[in-house]
Amino acid sequence: MTILELQKLSKKYHQAENFAVQEVSFKVSEGEILALVGESGSGKTTLLRLIAGLEHPESGCIFLSGEKIVDGRLSVPAHKRKVGMVFQDYALFPHLTILENVCFGLHDVDGDPEKIAKETLKMVDLKENYNNYPHQLSGGQQQRVALARAMAPNPKILLLDEPFSNLDALLKDQVREDIRQIIKHTGITAIFVTHDTRDALSTADRIAILHKGYLQQIDSPENLYENPANPYVANFFGKRNEIIATPTLEGFYTPFGFIKDARSAEYNNKVRLYFRPQHAKILRSDVQHLSGKLFSVAYLGDHQMIQLADDEGRRVSIRANPRKKFNEKDRVFFTIDKFGVEEVY
Amino acid sequence: MELTKLKYYWWNKWIGLALLVVLVITIPILTLFFNIFDPPGESWSHLKENLLYDYFINTLLLLIGVALCTFFLGVSSAWIVSSYNFPGRRYFEWLLILPLGFPGYIMAYTYTGLLDYAGPIQSFMRNSLDIQVNGGIIDIMNLPGAIFILSITLYPYIYLLSRASFSQQSKTLQEAASLLKSSRSRTFFKVALPMARPAIVGGIALASMEVLNDYGVVKYFGVNTFTTGIFRSWFSMGDISTAIHLAVALMCFVFALLFLENLHRGNSRYVSSNPTNKPAEKSNLSKPLRYLMSGICTFIFLVSFFIPFMQVLNWVFLTYQKVIDREFFLLIYRSFALAISSGIVIVLLSVILLYALRLNPIKWVKNATKVAILGYAVPGAVIAIGIMVPVLELDKYLASHFSSDGRGLWITGSLFLVVFAYVVRFMAVGFHPIESGFQKVGIHVNEASRLLGAGTNKTLFKIDLPLIKPSLFAGILLVFVDVLKELPLTLILRPFNYHTLATKAFDMATNEMIAESANAALVIILTGIIPIIFLNRLIRVRNI
Repeated sequence: MTILELQKLSKKYHQAENFAVQEVSFKVSEGEILALVGESGSGKTTLLRLIAGLEHPESGCIFLSGEKIVDGRLSVPAHKRKVGMVFQDYALFPHLTILENVCFGLHDVDGDPEKIAKETLKMVDLKENYNNYPHQLSGGQQQRVALARAMAPNPKILLLDEPFSNLDALLKDQVREDIRQIIKHTGITAIFVTHDTRDALSTADRIAILHKGYLQQIDSPENLYENPANPYVANFFGKRNEIIATPTLEGFYTPFGFIKDARSAEYNNKVRLYFRPQHAKILRSDVQHLSGKLFSVAYLGDHQMIQLADDEGRRVSIRANPRKKFNEKDRVFFTIDKFGVEEVY
Repeated sequence: MELTKLKYYWWNKWIGLALLVVLVITIPILTLFFNIFDPPGESWSHLKENLLYDYFINTLLLLIGVALCTFFLGVSSAWIVSSYNFPGRRYFEWLLILPLGFPGYIMAYTYTGLLDYAGPIQSFMRNSLDIQVNGGIIDIMNLPGAIFILSITLYPYIYLLSRASFSQQSKTLQEAASLLKSSRSRTFFKVALPMARPAIVGGIALASMEVLNDYGVVKYFGVNTFTTGIFRSWFSMGDISTAIHLAVALMCFVFALLFLENLHRGNSRYVSSNPTNKPAEKSNLSKPLRYLMSGICTFIFLVSFFIPFMQVLNWVFLTYQKVIDREFFLLIYRSFALAISSGIVIVLLSVILLYALRLNPIKWVKNATKVAILGYAVPGAVIAIGIMVPVLELDKYLASHFSSDGRGLWITGSLFLVVFAYVVRFMAVGFHPIESGFQKVGIHVNEASRLLGAGTNKTLFKIDLPLIKPSLFAGILLVFVDVLKELPLTLILRPFNYHTLATKAFDMATNEMIAESANAALVIILTGIIPIIFLNRLIRVRNI
């Protein structure tokens, strides 16, 4: 069931020249975790704040569990939307204790606020020190309090602004998994903003990619990675090689050699072939395969990234076994398992 | 399903309340501009022929003179204190700000007393050195004297702002300059001074606004300026429309000043705000030079604070038995009550303005609040005229409708009016600490509270106000001190025979009771010093 729907939402900040969010539409199903991904300035945080009611759009509509909460310049104030939010800096109330922080949103719930608050705190794995003040906790603990505070009133949807950006690399993987477990456990719908594609790929059910305020693609992590809708999305998830090729009836002529492929028959003009480094394979023999001159080698622990150059110096990156030895100016043979084709205009 | 009404997002009761506050606060200035096209009164033509030129030239000379003197005093002392090590430097850092607590008019009486025939300086010269001085040589009751008095009380503005700028200029910058083989003095002229320019210009603008506001010094020294002109037309001639014309002329000076400041500062933010920058290191000097620096600072401190302060103490010692009675404590009580209530009202209104903006940072509301705090630039006499004109009209109307004999002043001369005037003039003083308080707390706690279902009222009282409590007190304190010193507004608007410490001191001094006036003056000075020390600590903490 759809719980949140955005219809052609556009937002422009006062001094800005361009729209921060442009005609963005999508739906979120109940219980889903959606990641909003983009570079800084892509409009992802603005979108989150529009849903929360902290910013107001120029035009467009938002429906939350079937109810229209935004219609152009008209809107339901933030405090009546029943939306929970975890801020990047946690925004805990420094003058209130942990328990008081979590109780703050529980003024009109049925039942004992303190009991609900304590249960929620237990759920996020905070079991003591309820009478401490936020500054007495570690960063990770503060984040759990913020999460508990946002979830305690049982909001219709939970928004998280860059939830993993303040954590150091060692902690991050653990916290990411913990938070995913907590959210999935309660079955709440969650939207989180991140600039880190790894966070998005590992945590979200679906990912929405924004660029310059436009929604580029919204899909499952696998589909985004394997079938990007456009070059921007493809490049966003890691390194991508591009080579210009000429189609023939049987395959493509590239600066690195000929590659057999049935798709070539569909094209008349020059095309661009694109593939990820891990989709190329290094071979020993030169029969019917591509080759390039070794340009550089970078050892990265679990793999090596090598760059090969054609006669004119154009380069491709290929993933290689970490123990393989390369010599300077070797000619390296390779094949591409999987690649995309697009026409060059 | 529960139906929630959709509302226009930019409208809420806080915006409405804020606009109302802005409207009320701008009434005095709006009044002046609506009345400017009224024909001037009878005394205008006389004034235009004989006095207007004097007003103009004196005001201009006063402005230029004070700007130059405060520039030299303020910048040189700030540079010495912020870039050299010398004996007593840490003390001079804040001792040099103390003159800010000395109202100009009190400084004027004190120096007049000091340099009097019977004063300590002439007596000393006469009795110990056997030198008879012709009164004219050290007569300071003239234009240069007024420049001197205003300069030594106002230079701390430039000192404070340029010191902050000098000490924010980072160590790396200083090192870069010295690696380029730039000497210390060359660094000052080529790097430090140009970089501090926005701060210095801001300081001079503040000092100039105080000069335009001043009535006590110029009146006492008999220098005719626009301010004294306004008082003359109002009190002596009862010519309201002439007073309005003079007030508008004075406002032109203010606008020119604001324009010049803006033009000069532009959007330049020369001081790098990178918090990781280490403050510049203080350089060591040879022994004689070190003592020279101490000497310069000591001299400035002696002249601008210590000597006049001692004179005030001396007078208090001589006269306190005569002056300090029940009446005097009543005076203190009244002044304090008036100042504190103005502080509370200003802080309250500032919270309304800033909270509306905090909930909804809409551009035109932001601009409206900027207008509301412009009063600090408007001379007290101008505000007073702007208030009196509509209030007299209102009183006429009220009297004709509600009074049995058709006479009576209902609002004119009420304390309510005085407080209102203080609010208009000192709004910025209480506004700024609260603004920075809100900024420091950040918007996220407010947003978090609202997303947890708390309405705007609950968020304000449960979250925002408790978090900015120190700023609220700072705002009240700063307004308190300024109101206590205030003279021209109070003189025009106070109820008949009602005195504050400031008007009492002024009254006594102009009635040849300078020594007696020192008692009230001492209370004003001492209360004025408290927030200065507080303010200095604030600046220092920020720099470290």
